[in-house]
Amino acid sequence: MSSAGVNNGTATAEKPAERSRLRMVPLLEPRQRVPERLRLSVYVVSLLVATLLAVGLLAQAGVPPADLVKEIATTAFSSPRALGSVLALTAPLIVAGLATAIAFRANFWNIGLEGQMILGAIFASYVAIHDIGPDDTRLLLMAAAACIGGMVWIAGPGLLKLRLGVNEVISTLLLNYVAFNLLLHLLYGPWKDPVSAFPHTEQFEAFEKLPALGWMNLTWALPVAGLLALVLWWAFSQSRFGYLVDLMRSNAEMARAVGVPVLGLSVTAILASGAVGGLTGFVISAGIEGRMTQDFFVGYLFSGVLIAFLGRNHPLGVVIVAFFIAVLMLVGQSLQVFFGVPSALVQLVQAIFIICVAASEFFLSYRMHWRSAA
Amino acid sequence: MTTALSLCSVSKSFGGFRALDSVDFAVRAGEVHALLGENGAGKSTLMNIACGLYAPDQGHVEMAGGPVTIAGARDAAARGIGMVHQHFKLVPAFTVLENILLFNPGRPAAEVAKQSLDLAARMGFELDLTRRAGTLGVSEQQRLEILKVLVAGAKIIILDEPTAVLGEEDGRALMQLVRGLAEAGSAVILVTHKLHEALHHSDRITVMRQGRKIAETLPSDMDPIKLTTLIVGEQIVETPALSQSVGGTRIRLNKVRMAGEGGRKGLVDVSFEVRDGEIYGVAGVSGNGQNELAEVLMGLGVPDDGSIEITGFDDVTYEGPAMRRSLGMACIPVDRYRLGLAGGVSVADNYAVNGALAGRYGSWFRFNRARARAEAREAVTAFDVQGVRSMGQKAALLSGGNAQKLVIAREFQGETRVVLAHSPSRGLDVRAGAAVHDRLRAARDRGAAVILISEDLDEILLLSDRIGVLAGGRLAAEFKAPSSRTEVGKAMVSHE
Repeated sequence: MSSAGVNNGTATAEKPAERSRLRMVPLLEPRQRVPERLRLSVYVVSLLVATLLAVGLLAQAGVPPADLVKEIATTAFSSPRALGSVLALTAPLIVAGLATAIAFRANFWNIGLEGQMILGAIFASYVAIHDIGPDDTRLLLMAAAACIGGMVWIAGPGLLKLRLGVNEVISTLLLNYVAFNLLLHLLYGPWKDPVSAFPHTEQFEAFEKLPALGWMNLTWALPVAGLLALVLWWAFSQSRFGYLVDLMRSNAEMARAVGVPVLGLSVTAILASGAVGGLTGFVISAGIEGRMTQDFFVGYLFSGVLIAFLGRNHPLGVVIVAFFIAVLMLVGQSLQVFFGVPSALVQLVQAIFIICVAASEFFLSYRMHWRSAA
Repeated sequence: MTTALSLCSVSKSFGGFRALDSVDFAVRAGEVHALLGENGAGKSTLMNIACGLYAPDQGHVEMAGGPVTIAGARDAAARGIGMVHQHFKLVPAFTVLENILLFNPGRPAAEVAKQSLDLAARMGFELDLTRRAGTLGVSEQQRLEILKVLVAGAKIIILDEPTAVLGEEDGRALMQLVRGLAEAGSAVILVTHKLHEALHHSDRITVMRQGRKIAETLPSDMDPIKLTTLIVGEQIVETPALSQSVGGTRIRLNKVRMAGEGGRKGLVDVSFEVRDGEIYGVAGVSGNGQNELAEVLMGLGVPDDGSIEITGFDDVTYEGPAMRRSLGMACIPVDRYRLGLAGGVSVADNYAVNGALAGRYGSWFRFNRARARAEAREAVTAFDVQGVRSMGQKAALLSGGNAQKLVIAREFQGETRVVLAHSPSRGLDVRAGAAVHDRLRAARDRGAAVILISEDLDEILLLSDRIGVLAGGRLAAEFKAPSSRTEVGKAMVSHE
């Protein structure tokens, strides 16, 4: 501003009293380019701001920051047992985040993860209940069936979107309720547990569950999730498929005009998202609960969107974010138990993180200039 | 005449690049002040400062004799500065009135509607307030943009290359409208690449080059050659060079018929053929079937009737872009930001797509980014694409001329047998336009069959070995070069 004053003959002539009345106003200037370092630092700052807000809110609700830090440390990292619980929760969150990220990356707003999870679990349970195939391959068959279930559920919205331009946000979302009612029908009807008469399926056989890893309570769900993340990282970052998907997301019309098989890519990505969604249902049913229950899917839709979004639809980002969300969830649970914090507040804390990261986009697009206005 | 707005020795840098270097610029009420310069000369940056989108690093803005700080676009509008951007800022799903209201928040709809109709009538055009902006033609959208800022009370009107997207006829009409605005007392800044607009329709000309003001002069002291020399710093004169050797037929259209959008004629039984080693110019007033012709040639649309054949494959009527490209077809689309480039991904990724589809960077399971990047770097140098600081830079940041060069670099890799170029120099400065023309001639001389669709008759006459005229969706006449401007012009309006 000082240089402007030098160049500006009238400004130097202004009286000091008038100068002091000048108000500083921000001028927003669109950024010409965004260096990687800036992107990273804006991201880190937004997470810091979110953390501060969250700590402040929890302090208001009666959780002193020191206790909060202690709570996080004991819940997540104090013992192998604590870490084991976090990692056990991380596994399905990774798969859910990946399912969502695949679709988002191809510009398909899949809000139907829970429906796809339910269908995946139903298909897998069908294989388990009816003892299809030899015992040795049962688990693989269940996984494949779960993928098909998820694909079946996403195929409708995908077709409607690609053929008729029907908004997939609405169609995938509404199909969640259809899937849920189908699940209730099965669990209160033909698939009700014959032993306990409770509304869940009978316990799967041992070979129908994901085997234990032999460390704490972890199962093969975690390595499966990690492997899937690696495969998808390769697909999106190192393969022609991923390159073309990114091009298509940026400008589908141009992609089509230069001969990119836009339809094929979209179909592949949408079905893959549905398949991984179905697999999420399988991972929980066969990996954690050992049966299909009536509420195994609850909350994963929101978590999936959250994780994909915070992880910027990057498979490895999803893994990292899923871990932190798992920590947050467990800490939230113990805060509810030991400090009587309402569950709404725990959700609010999650929401603060999303909003802060979303808002950080603004600082990547614009640069603020503070200048005086008369 | 009083000075309405002046920019006093303003400078502006972007990350070390000096976009403006102590530039003085003033516009008076009642005049049309043309601002000329190559892409990247600093015109847009200067105008963005004038309308409050950028803050100058040094220097200041004066209005009505005193210094002012324009704090953003809204403040600029409140001070009576209105900018009509080259890329329209309309909401396609909104009606004409809604678009105007969006720009004039808080005012009663009835009042705005009445004022809009009054202003439109005074400017001499009809206005249907209830139509959706997306259904308007380009020239109507342009008028709506101007109307928008007028309704907001603009007395200083900045037009950024307003005729770049218009055909010759519409362009002339717009220039009359601009004159009317000045006569009504507005100060008009006309940013343009077209010399004749500055020479015939402005009161004063300012020329910029590399972020500096080179000259401020009167149109009467200038002629096209003097002006070009000022703009580019050297003389650029393009001369026609006809084809030396023409081969057999490469592509043939047989009675192609296609319905146009929004009830327009589209194409009616269009037949022509183009041979290896010739440039076939398709002339015509805009909206006479050019878009439909480009669409069926690129494989983005299927004709209702008729066929398209490419020698060596035969019937490609129902083949998509991928198949046509594998036959050696290259396309330079009219809207390079819509069909030519993906702005959100990098320069390298934009360049690499043809090679990737052909499998040059690995199978479906592999994409050799390093190799794609290296090849893109070579091509960017070979095709003189300026303003690329890194291969990872987003393509959206390239200026018009450089974006077009990148499209051409990508399209002309490998063996090119058929070239479709749709208004390839639209919105480009003289030097960039000449570079594009050189590329087209070079492709022809290597034996490609080039189809040049352009609404710029000078471009058609300069480049074409043969000319077909589209009028009312029909191929009204064909000419062999050298052809007379008057004859071709007559054929262009023959259907009316």
